Amino acid sequence: MLAKRIQPMTSQARRLYVELMFQVMGRALQAVSEVDREVREEAQALPKGFLFEMMVMPDGAKLIVEHIGEGRFHYHGNSAPRPADVSIKFKHVTHAFLVLSFQEKTSVAFANDRMLVDGDVSYAVRMTRVLNRLESFILPRIIAKRAVKEYPENLHLPEKLISAAQIYLKIATHFVQTARA
Amino acid sequence: MTNTYYEFFCPVKVIAGKAALEHIPYELTGLAAKRPMIVTDKGVRAAGLLDPVIAACEESGLDIVSIYDDVPPDSSTGVVRAIAAIYRNEKCDSIIAVGGGSAIDTGKAVNILVSEGGEDIAKYTGAGVLKRALKPFFVVPTTAGTGSEVTSIAVITDEAKGVKLPFTSSFLLPNAAIIDPRMTLTLPPHVTAATAMDAMTHAIESFTCMAKNPLSDAYATAAVKKVSQSLLQVMDNPKDSLGRLELAQASTMAGIAFSNSMVGLVHSLGHATGAICHLPHGLCMSLYLPYVLEFNLETIREPLGELLLYLEGPEVYAATPASRRAEASISALRILRDALYKRCKLPRTLKETGKVTEDQLDQIAGMAINDGSIMFNPKEVSLKDARAVLQRAWA
Ligand SMILES: [Fe+2]
Repeated sequence: MLAKRIQPMTSQARRLYVELMFQVMGRALQAVSEVDREVREEAQALPKGFLFEMMVMPDGAKLIVEHIGEGRFHYHGNSAPRPADVSIKFKHVTHAFLVLSFQEKTSVAFANDRMLVDGDVSYAVRMTRVLNRLESFILPRIIAKRAVKEYPENLHLPEKLISAAQIYLKIATHFVQTARA
Repeated sequence: MTNTYYEFFCPVKVIAGKAALEHIPYELTGLAAKRPMIVTDKGVRAAGLLDPVIAACEESGLDIVSIYDDVPPDSSTGVVRAIAAIYRNEKCDSIIAVGGGSAIDTGKAVNILVSEGGEDIAKYTGAGVLKRALKPFFVVPTTAGTGSEVTSIAVITDEAKGVKLPFTSSFLLPNAAIIDPRMTLTLPPHVTAATAMDAMTHAIESFTCMAKNPLSDAYATAAVKKVSQSLLQVMDNPKDSLGRLELAQASTMAGIAFSNSMVGLVHSLGHATGAICHLPHGLCMSLYLPYVLEFNLETIREPLGELLLYLEGPEVYAATPASRRAEASISALRILRDALYKRCKLPRTLKETGKVTEDQLDQIAGMAINDGSIMFNPKEVSLKDARAVLQRAWA
């Protein structure tokens, strides 16, 4: 109660930011799997129908994507058709905020016990690589460097610009489509 | 690389030193346990290692109600179910696991079944499934390396599905770990060397990987020092029980370190090599350690340089310029490996193992980069990187 009175806006803003970032990332995951060969190659090893979830414990914001085959992801929003195969669970919305606002690297957050992994670890490792690739695509280089352990060498600026533009475009259309539906 | 946040947990009572086994009855009584079951393997029994444990209990009027001595090297769900059935039939109330990694993991899994009920251990796989304390559980390690006596994980093979099931929960930690030098006195030289190098790797990886923290660092450096000081002594004089105790303690300390700060690429490569080429875990650790440290070098220069103090002692450390210490640590490890090769042919390259072919390297690399431990390696590892490290480790 007391905490709520002291910082009502901040915590509310964080929650909203995390929800929004999950939406952006979910759409971006779907988009990037349509344009990036490397992400598709990584995702191809996942079983078809594989459900990946990121969530804030105990019952906060969620991001759910499904591998629909051939390395492509489908974004399910925040409700899963069945229990997720791999779930990355942030222990608190603050920790999700630190990671999703790129103040704490995903790998560091793992190492710092900020989140738990539930499910097959080898798939979780694969998904972490996909998320890293995604982050270096959609973020300006300076921020992406902060978010991932190593900025990929094979991501040259023109390619990055083109792909990022493509991804943003796809996200935008996806947003519009969702809004219309 | 300093973590701004960390967690550290180790509630295991460590009972270590001369005549440590004789404390088992007192400790069991303290937990109101009267009918212990021993879980072990044929090798341990044949080596006569159960005798002092049984004698220690009987002399205090505590009968070991049942002994299961058929744990295979790769324990399975069927074995766990069978042991749990015996435990229930014999109305046991506690478990003493005596052995190496497999016997200890089996003991942990049996404890889940007999405490939580049911026949199917697969139901409890994953992290954080268990919500309450299990039955009294003691571990007596008979190798000095795995550190399983202080880790909260067990791995059991589901033979029907052909997959390895991981179980993680702090409730899997034993109530006590009993470290008695008598239990490792008869380890053959190559096992002594390989398991000690496993402990060394646990310490070095936990000190140089992403989740390092001040508490695990303290355990890790102490473990590196003990292995460096005692391993060759024990190799030359296997009956040196003080040296044996040093190695056993180092193994437990390294176990406490890595269970709180995790391991990295040496283990990723080792797990993959173990699964594909069926090489012992400790052997793989010793083999890959310098090559991985070279790969990580620029990311871990500072902590690796600091380890020189524990690997070589204060004189060498002081005489080595700070900028050369990390390289000097790697050479110290290479010299130790050469010394072990001289004494027991512990392989230093994949070729020397005689069990790996060069065309398997791609498969090993592919598996290694999906191993969970790779997430904690300080440097990002691509498939190409893993393959390059393997090539350097080839010959
Ligand atoms: Fe190990």
